Amino acid sequence: MKAETALLSINNLYTHLQTSEKTVKAVDGVSFSLNKGETFCLVGESGSGKSICALSVIQLLPAGISSHPKGEICFNWRTEKQSYKTVNTLELDEDDLRKIRGSRIAMIFQEPMTSLNPVFSIGEQIVEALQLHHPDMSDAEAKKQAIEALTEVQIPQASTRFDNYPHQLSGGQRQRVMIAMALACKPDLLIADEPTTALDVTVQAEILRLMQDLQKRNGMGILFITHDFGVVAQMAHKVGVMQQGKLVETGLSKEVLRNPQHAYTKKLLAAIPENLARLYKTDPAQLAPDNLVEISQLKVWFPIKKGLFRHVVDHVKAVDMVDLNIRKGSIMALVGESGCGKTTLGRAILQLEAVTSGSVKIKGKELVGLTAKELRPLRTQMQIAFQDPQSSLNPRLQIVTTLTEPMAVHGIGENKDDRIERAAQILEQVHLDRDYLWRYPHEFSGGQRQRIGLARALVVNPEFIVCDEITSALDVSVQAEVLQLLLEIRKKKDLTLLFITHNISVVEYLSDETVVMKAGKIIEQGLTADVCGNPQQAYTQKLLEAVPRLVL
Amino acid sequence: MTNRSNTTHISESYGQRVLRLAFSGWGARLGLAWVLLLIFMAVFAPYLANSMPLLASEHGVLTMPVLRYTTAEDVLMLSAFISALLLWKLKLNFIKKLWIFTLVVISFTLIAQMLLTPPKLIIYDSFRAKANNAEYDWAVLPPIPYSPSDFLRDYGDTSLEAPFAADKADKRVHIMGTDDNGADVASRMIHASRIALGIGFVATGIAMVIGIFIGGQMGYFSGRVDMFGMRLMEIFEAIPVLFLLLTIIAFFGRSIYLMMIIIGITGWSGYARYVRAEFLKLRKQDYVQAAIASGLPLQSILFRHILPNGIAPLLVAISFGVASAILTEATLSFLGLGPVDVPSWGQMLNQAVKSSTFNWWMAAFPGGAIFLTVFAYNLIGEALRDAIDPQLAGRLGVN
Repeated sequence: MKAETALLSINNLYTHLQTSEKTVKAVDGVSFSLNKGETFCLVGESGSGKSICALSVIQLLPAGISSHPKGEICFNWRTEKQSYKTVNTLELDEDDLRKIRGSRIAMIFQEPMTSLNPVFSIGEQIVEALQLHHPDMSDAEAKKQAIEALTEVQIPQASTRFDNYPHQLSGGQRQRVMIAMALACKPDLLIADEPTTALDVTVQAEILRLMQDLQKRNGMGILFITHDFGVVAQMAHKVGVMQQGKLVETGLSKEVLRNPQHAYTKKLLAAIPENLARLYKTDPAQLAPDNLVEISQLKVWFPIKKGLFRHVVDHVKAVDMVDLNIRKGSIMALVGESGCGKTTLGRAILQLEAVTSGSVKIKGKELVGLTAKELRPLRTQMQIAFQDPQSSLNPRLQIVTTLTEPMAVHGIGENKDDRIERAAQILEQVHLDRDYLWRYPHEFSGGQRQRIGLARALVVNPEFIVCDEITSALDVSVQAEVLQLLLEIRKKKDLTLLFITHNISVVEYLSDETVVMKAGKIIEQGLTADVCGNPQQAYTQKLLEAVPRLVL
Repeated sequence: MTNRSNTTHISESYGQRVLRLAFSGWGARLGLAWVLLLIFMAVFAPYLANSMPLLASEHGVLTMPVLRYTTAEDVLMLSAFISALLLWKLKLNFIKKLWIFTLVVISFTLIAQMLLTPPKLIIYDSFRAKANNAEYDWAVLPPIPYSPSDFLRDYGDTSLEAPFAADKADKRVHIMGTDDNGADVASRMIHASRIALGIGFVATGIAMVIGIFIGGQMGYFSGRVDMFGMRLMEIFEAIPVLFLLLTIIAFFGRSIYLMMIIIGITGWSGYARYVRAEFLKLRKQDYVQAAIASGLPLQSILFRHILPNGIAPLLVAISFGVASAILTEATLSFLGLGPVDVPSWGQMLNQAVKSSTFNWWMAAFPGGAIFLTVFAYNLIGEALRDAIDPQLAGRLGVN
């Protein structure tokens, strides 16, 4: 092998996707190279073509609709005889590609839940991958190697775990199995397409550390695709910023992050919550003394029923004995990992989830135990905005219907025209055109939908809004806009917010007070500056450490 | 997930998308073409195959005999067809269109029922006699100038003539031949398409309304309501429809309307299952939760926020349901238990079997029509199912 030969070098690559109406230039003249033992991070917002670029390398794009008008992807192929030759994967035939895929270039995907086959045990799946590329390997040898691979990715008791099925593993463990499977054949290049995006921060930190360790040991190159600059800062040697199929900036990771040259990179970096300028500092003395929402001894337990007569054997304690007071006019952040019960708590406050026992009071009025009818007039005081921009708006209704229907039910506005006018004003408050009233949800982008979701919460003039991960599904620059908008509206309308999130940097940017939840219980609460700056509980410390920071 | 959701920004609604995908294949298009042809024949049957002139000048006076004999049934068909055409292009939501459609059709039919008094007895020969006696200065005849129950007595024995039989003194042409009674098969085929379409749509419509109502309640409230509904569904699924129909016919006589109702009220369980599953899934969707959080009334949550979004899978069930209803009617008519006096495909097959010699044209045309119709609905149903499936997977969060 010549020392100067790059493991992978992409020269002026174009990938076009053919839809029925038009050609999408998904990758538009991209060039970069990657050496052995190096990590190259492709970073960009959704739709920037970073995943397509990676799929082009391994030639996994559907043949019918994709084409490569120009460019080459040179891969330094270690053949079976251990000699090296440089090949252009765009020109290889299926047979050669199959030899490369899996054994020389391996790939791991974003969604650990769906990328493993649920009907085979994890051991069988790794053995299959091994024997596919080493047909002469015996079953015993393959099993031994598979267990080694599982041990390597730090699966505890690998030999017993060998027979487990994917559903018996947690998300993080599944991603480890995916990595074990990808690395079982000792590839030279690992393509990781947002491998940690679906995972909790603490799990993400472990997986990232694991990948770095493995890279040090095996000397493989990693092409890492992400949208998270924190992850980039932690993983990358080199970084490439993509925008609409073009690579606008490449360079050493430290240089790009510290001293971005291109306007787009600058914009992206400025939009990260850590870099947003806080409008004000929370002054403990200025927080209103009276509570708007008072929660005491709140329990939301889901029964686990078993047996012929479906008797209750146990409970899932989603929210367990929670006491919480939310002060009027403040923003309280509720953080925790997935499954900790934060969303259930948010919904239980609004009585969208049946409460097992306890009390929820808004402005001193008890909500628990009221019937749906008795609750209806109180609904105007409290509202909710949701995480998923795809499912938060009824796709069949025009925005005007979505916004005016609650007003009509609660008798807000004198007549239909007045209500439409109010709806238009609220749309303007969330920085949208009033003409958008006459459109359907599918005509909007994710960020716009989230604003409409906010507008829907605002139409009944609530005092309290639960924001359930409203920015988690958005790109950073859009997230920044929505967060700034939220702060602006809160100030104008004197709203009280419960902001549910898993993103610590958003918490630091936005909230006055922070509550940390774990397994249905509140672990720590206090002023955001105290909780995030000086955490007292071990769990909070672990959570904060795991956040990938953009340390410059 | 984040990545994909924002890039696929399609400027068409879910329903449009499903229809576009479903009818992009040739199979579904052929199926649709056949169904459209059937609809056309059913609606314009009196103007396509009739012994009376469409328009004639009788001693210098313009007459339209066809209009004189227009029945309430014809008005129903025409008003349904025209209002469907007009509403098609209107920018309204589906539920509203459905309401307008139903109201228009019902009111027109009722008015026709009250105002129109077509003569009970029709002597088809008289029109031909008029033509022969030169009472008409000129006359515009329909493409097939024979009514389905015009036995052509004035021509003498016309029974069992093969299609395009050549050895005739008069200039009659029967493109599909004639049956035992001497009636034109093509004309009977055209008029029978009304029964096929009617039973398909009405029976399925009844089943769908019951299914949506019960399935919706089961899905939304779940728990006990769901359990009771399930048992009710199992009871109805255990009823053998064909035997029930035979019994009913034995007691109450043969009536096409009774048949539609029986097929309808025994066939809802499948639709209820679909609707239940959709409601179970959709009630936890964010926009439904938001509707509850906004304090909207139950009726609005069920029928405005959930139902329109869960109706797509029903389309598939409906097209299969229509096919099976048509088949049930054909089976009954074939057994000689179908409606009296009105021609239906199954009944024509029955005639073919009963006649002493095998006359291929009497079996091939109605048999072919039943086959093609059921096949067409199945093709459409399958195309719709394929069009819906990937989206369903995406919505369930499988990604």
